Amino acid sequence: MLRKLVGYDNISRVTALLAPRRTVDRFTVAGLLAIAGLAAVYLFALRVDAAWPVFWVAGVAFGIVSQRSRFCFVAGFRDLFLMRQGRMMRGILAGLAAGSIGFAMIMATVVPNAGSGVLPADAHILPLGIATVFGGLLFGFGMVLSGGCVSGSLYRMGEGYVGSWIAIAGVLLGLYGLNRTWNWWWDHQISSDRISWLPTDLTYTGAVAVTLALFALAFFAVSWWERGAFRGMSFVVPVTSASAAPPPPSTSPSGLWRRLFREEWTPLAGGLALAAVNIVLFIRYRPLGVVGELSRWSADLGATLGAGVGELKGISDIPGCVPQFVEGTWFTDAFMLNVGIVAGAFTAALLAREFRPRVPRGPRRYVQSLAGGLVMGYGAGLGLGCTLGAFFSAIPSLALNGWFYAAALAVGAYAGTAFIRRFP
Amino acid sequence: MATTSEAPVLDVRGEICPYPMLRTNRELDDVRPGVAELRVITDHPPALSTIPPEAMKRGYGCEISERRSGEWEIRIFSAEGAAD
Repeated sequence: MLRKLVGYDNISRVTALLAPRRTVDRFTVAGLLAIAGLAAVYLFALRVDAAWPVFWVAGVAFGIVSQRSRFCFVAGFRDLFLMRQGRMMRGILAGLAAGSIGFAMIMATVVPNAGSGVLPADAHILPLGIATVFGGLLFGFGMVLSGGCVSGSLYRMGEGYVGSWIAIAGVLLGLYGLNRTWNWWWDHQISSDRISWLPTDLTYTGAVAVTLALFALAFFAVSWWERGAFRGMSFVVPVTSASAAPPPPSTSPSGLWRRLFREEWTPLAGGLALAAVNIVLFIRYRPLGVVGELSRWSADLGATLGAGVGELKGISDIPGCVPQFVEGTWFTDAFMLNVGIVAGAFTAALLAREFRPRVPRGPRRYVQSLAGGLVMGYGAGLGLGCTLGAFFSAIPSLALNGWFYAAALAVGAYAGTAFIRRFP
Repeated sequence: MATTSEAPVLDVRGEICPYPMLRTNRELDDVRPGVAELRVITDHPPALSTIPPEAMKRGYGCEISERRSGEWEIRIFSAEGAAD
């Protein structure tokens, strides 16, 4: 029997080595139909609004990259505590580093003099205070409990995970609760919180240097924590009979297709690709973020059901992940982004032959997904974003709130990990 | 496939991270300590990169095969069972 030795560093090649390689089957047909669907929505979006196709493409790209690299902010934090594994966190750090350099260049173009007191519009420079930390703690705990963060649950919805649909329902409920209590938080905390943008005092060069130095520190800390526990590990993957022929060289067209859509990407490739999506979207409009739109959905759904959230104080002064209400329509550019994530992951999962409905095991897991989503939703509303908006887009905005949110995420995820260890 | 049919099977289909890995570890550590072979069935692709390293930390070898689209079997075997 043909066998292949796969090392720990190349662990991501496994699924592709295994997948049977019949050329046309129902997954190929469904995948091609899905691609046609993505293209049709793109053409439709072109005719509606200049921003729509851009957000659609960004969402689809985000979904595809996440599905292919199994990018997971939860795994990044949780696996450090659970198994001392830092693979995903290193991918996240690489994405943050690339994003920071790109964002700095964009912001330096918009606001050349960082000390002028003018802030680059749309960058995720947010009020920093108790709400940031409390929101991050809740979010970190909730995401570990539900097994996916907000953007992670969105893309897993497209892969067929029923639990992720439940988790997003929980997130909507949590955001609704936050919106009902928002004005209290605004009056007592957020309205008096200061913002802190590193380039104000450090200039762009200094802020980027400090940020990159912190990433380097975090990178070495993760590797020290791991202590080479996984170095040199390799295991045997038998190549199944359906794919007994050796794979085509990766330079041929079918080889490239295979690398992109059949082989899993490494977390490092995923992190860098997501940073690229984030940079392009910021150049055209604003950084990635999904929570503001989910928050709007929860508020609008509440209003439809006769229990509106009323006026939300101060949200028009905050950039980033707050609900943007557009009079008279349910459909916005941010809607295209969120739905694009689900659609992109769905398409990628079909092409990878990995799509299948996955039903949680037993009532306990449904409760876990819903409760985790609920806590995470409240935290995301309070912290003005999720692992995307308040972390993956905020740290590259060179804003101090991103670092405080990150630290709170880590503590919350630690508590969540301790909790699920006792919750089999 | 050279899997022995009498080896115990742990079916973790439907479970997502970290449960496939945690339940496999518990099976190896507590439920069947010292088991010569265990077959784990999962439909959660990320588990393919979490279960093998944990099993190997415990001195086992691992082999993954695809059962059908989106479903895999991880064969975990002690060193003497490795040569087949």
